[in-house]
This record gives sequence, structure tokens and C-alpha cells, in this order.
Amino acid sequence: MRTLSVLLTLAVALTATPALAQDTLEKIKSSGTLTIGTRTGSPPFAYVNKNNEWVGFSIDLVEQLVKPEVEKAVGKSVKVEKKESAPATRIPLLTSNAVDLIAETMTDTPQRRETVDFSLTFFYTGAQFLVKKGSAIHGVNDIAGKRIASQQGSTNAKIIREKYPQAQLREFPDQPAAFQALAQGQVDAYTNDGIQLAGLKAKSPKPDEWEIVGDFYSEEPYGMAMRKGDARFKAAVDAGLKKGFESGKYFEIYDKWFGPKGEVPYPLTPQVKAYLLKQIGK
Amino acid sequence: MHYTFKWSVLWSGQSGHWLLQGLVTTLELSALAWILAVALGILSGALRTVPFRPLRWAATFYVEFFRNVPLLVWMFFWYFAVPPLLPRPAQDWLFNHGAEFWAGTIALGVYHGARMSEVIRSGIGAIPRTQFEASVAIGLTTFQAYRMVILPVALRLIVPPGTNESLNLLKNSSVALTISVAELTFQTRQIETYTAKAIEALTAGTLIYLVLCVSIATVMARVERHYAIPGLIARVGPAA
Repeated sequence: MRTLSVLLTLAVALTATPALAQDTLEKIKSSGTLTIGTRTGSPPFAYVNKNNEWVGFSIDLVEQLVKPEVEKAVGKSVKVEKKESAPATRIPLLTSNAVDLIAETMTDTPQRRETVDFSLTFFYTGAQFLVKKGSAIHGVNDIAGKRIASQQGSTNAKIIREKYPQAQLREFPDQPAAFQALAQGQVDAYTNDGIQLAGLKAKSPKPDEWEIVGDFYSEEPYGMAMRKGDARFKAAVDAGLKKGFESGKYFEIYDKWFGPKGEVPYPLTPQVKAYLLKQIGK
Repeated sequence: MHYTFKWSVLWSGQSGHWLLQGLVTTLELSALAWILAVALGILSGALRTVPFRPLRWAATFYVEFFRNVPLLVWMFFWYFAVPPLLPRPAQDWLFNHGAEFWAGTIALGVYHGARMSEVIRSGIGAIPRTQFEASVAIGLTTFQAYRMVILPVALRLIVPPGTNESLNLLKNSSVALTISVAELTFQTRQIETYTAKAIEALTAGTLIYLVLCVSIATVMARVERHYAIPGLIARVGPAA
């Protein structure tokens, strides 16, 4: 029993240590590196492309909008280092100081705000379903009794579990596994944010076989997450995004990835554009 | 930049219920997989020592094939690669009736069976050859010699490494979350999703695994003492 309590004390001590670390801008200044947690399989936000390069919309936002402001704040040039994050690991990655910023497809929710801070919203979408063309599922009202795949730890999974308990929910750790289950018939539909499904569909071997159906049954504003209470770092990140909205640079980057010729065509609707600009008082 | 601990997330809301559900699933998955692993382990472990070459080869093939591929791959294999071999209605039936759980059980059981097999083989190997010869000399068939003499002694010898392997099996059951089995680790992640309190949730999961494993190890130590053969197996613990 004594060994156990020693072990426990040790474990708590180990996990609690990061809370004592210096503030993020200081850390970036001394290391010369802004470390971000992002995805390798979420096109077009962050993924490894055909040329084996780790690219994407959220990575561009960091490189082109956030990085200059961070450099200004620390007074020297920094490089961006990318690490793989997933819904289940992103908050621990932040709190353990392994990464400074989560830039991927993380929805800004009130619960998460209790643990991390979010930047301005940089993308707005909602949950829909990906099905085989001709499926009987046309939206959230058709899923009773059906097998629905979702991503573990996502807000969509939570909504289905709470509001649509008649559906048989299957949760997979990542998008490829969930899509595999859909392609093979283990599940009847895969639910995720509409934009993610659009990305998955565009990247699949036969995009025409798949259909994205249903109205948004949830609101998913994406923000970049950072450690809680680090006001200076948050100000730098927000300033970068704000300048991007103001100068139009953000919309250029948006167009590069989501425009008609982009990786995943997903035009910015007037409502979404208004929502994004409202954040900076326009 | 402070991480505020909020341990109450573990008993407020549905967390306690989820942890319990996860624990039950972990125990069910592990128990069924363990039975499968022990059965396969005893069978293939014994076959690897019998005086008949084709059986030894078959058992060796099973062990080397299954233990040398990562468990994660076996999970995907039994869940994604096996069902398409069945007719479509059978697949649908399976997918509606917990295919994830059964795929996970088989993956875990067959993989650990191969590892258990080596434990049992080493137990049999530790028994002097003369015991087998003596058994045959008094008129037992090979099967009878294994069933009545070799295996009962071997199983007593392998309690410590067998316990080790069983604890590994229990902990490895968490890999089943990759194919959507809502076991303990899955549920701790779920708590994290709902509350964004990862450290609390992981600590709860860790403690439950720890308590489970320590309890099993304690029970097995008793089993070991109880079944020890005086003179053949070194005494465990202080002299009684």
C-alpha cells in the first residue's frame, strides 16, 4: 500500500509539473520554435499531400497570419514545427507543453473553454452525414436503428449519443478507420462536420460514389486552441487572424483551399463570411 | 497558464456510469479472450512438444504467425478483413449484433493464445523427459500422458509467467477501442471529451487498471501457493 501511495504521488507530481512552465511567448523566444499540433489526415485543413508534404488551410493560417505576429511579439524570427494531434490527444498535448497551439479542426465549445483558450473562429461548419449514393439516410431524422460511424472524442458523437440514442453509434479513432467501416458496410453512414466529409469525399478513390446529406445538425465553429490564461500569446494569435480578415489575406488563403480550384471546393456562404467578420466588429 | 484539477468530473454527470460500463466491457472482453487464449495456448503449447512432426509444425506456424504481427493489425484484420468473406446478410446481422466486440475478443484471444503457447511449452520443457517415458511405460497413451501427467505439472509451473501474460492480455484489451469497442480506456477518453479534463480521466482509468491487475496478481499468487507440488516447485514466500 505504501508503494502505491508513493507511485501515486509521483504520478501526480509528474503530471502537475507543466503547470509551472514559463509563458508561451517566452518559450517560443528561447526555443525559436512555434510548435503546433495538427492533423495528417484531415484534408484540406491539415494533411499529407501526394508529394508527401504536410500542408493545409490551418497550417497556412499559422504560417502566414499567426507566425508574423508571434515573431513581432518575441522580436525574432521563429520556425513552425508540426506535431500530430488527434481529438483525444490535443488537450493533453497542450497542457503538457508538447505543443503551443492546436491548429486543426477543433470545435470551440463551452466545456473545452474551461480547460483551454480559443482564438477567433477561423472556420464555421456543421455536422452532416456521408453515405453511399442512393442511401436511405437523408439527414439526422433517418438514423434511428442505423449504424452510424463517428470520430471518437468529437462533438458530433456526443450529440448523436445524447439526442439520437436510437441510432447505433460506432466510434473510431480516426477518419480513415471510420471511412473504411463505411466503405465496407460495417456502418450505414459516417457523421462528421460537413467540411471534413467534403474533404474525405474529394480525396476518396471514387468521389462520385459518395454523397453528403442532411442539414447541419450542430454548429461547429473552429478555433485554434492554446493553454488557458496565457493572454499575451492569445493576443498575438488573435491579432494575426484579425489582420488576415482585415487585409483580405484570410480570404485569399480560404480561396486557395476551398475555392472552385481548391483542394476541396466549399465556397464561403455570405452568412459564414458575415459570422467571421462580426468577430472583428465588422 | 495553470491546469486546474477538477476531480469531481469523475463522479458528477454520467462519468461514474461510463467508467463502470467500460470496466464491465473490459472484463467481459478480457475474460472471454483469456479463455480462448488459454485453450489455444494449452493446445498449441502441448502440440509443439509431441513426438509427431506435422502437429509440431502446425502449432509452430500458429505461434509464429500470430505473435509476430502487432495486435493492432489483428484487430483491424478480424474487424475489417474477415467479415467481407461472409455472405452479405450474415455481415449485416453481425454488424448489428456487436461485431466489434467479437472481433476484438477473437483478435485478443488468438494473439495471446500464441504467446501463452510459448509459456506452456516452456512449462512442459521444464519437466524431465523421464516423466513422459515413465508415463508411457506404465501403459498410458501419449494423449493420456499429457492429460494426466505432463499438463497438470506444467500448468503448476507456469503460474507466474502465465499470470504475467494474463495481465498483459487485460491491459491489451484497450487496443479494441480502435475498432469501436467501448471498453475502459474508451470511456476515459469519453469523459475527457465531455469535460475536457484529460488528466483526471486518465488517472481514473490508470487506477482502475492498476487495482484490477494487482488483485489478479494477488489471487494468482495464492493459486500458485495452493497448487505448488512440494519438492518439485520452490516454495513461495516464507515457510509455513
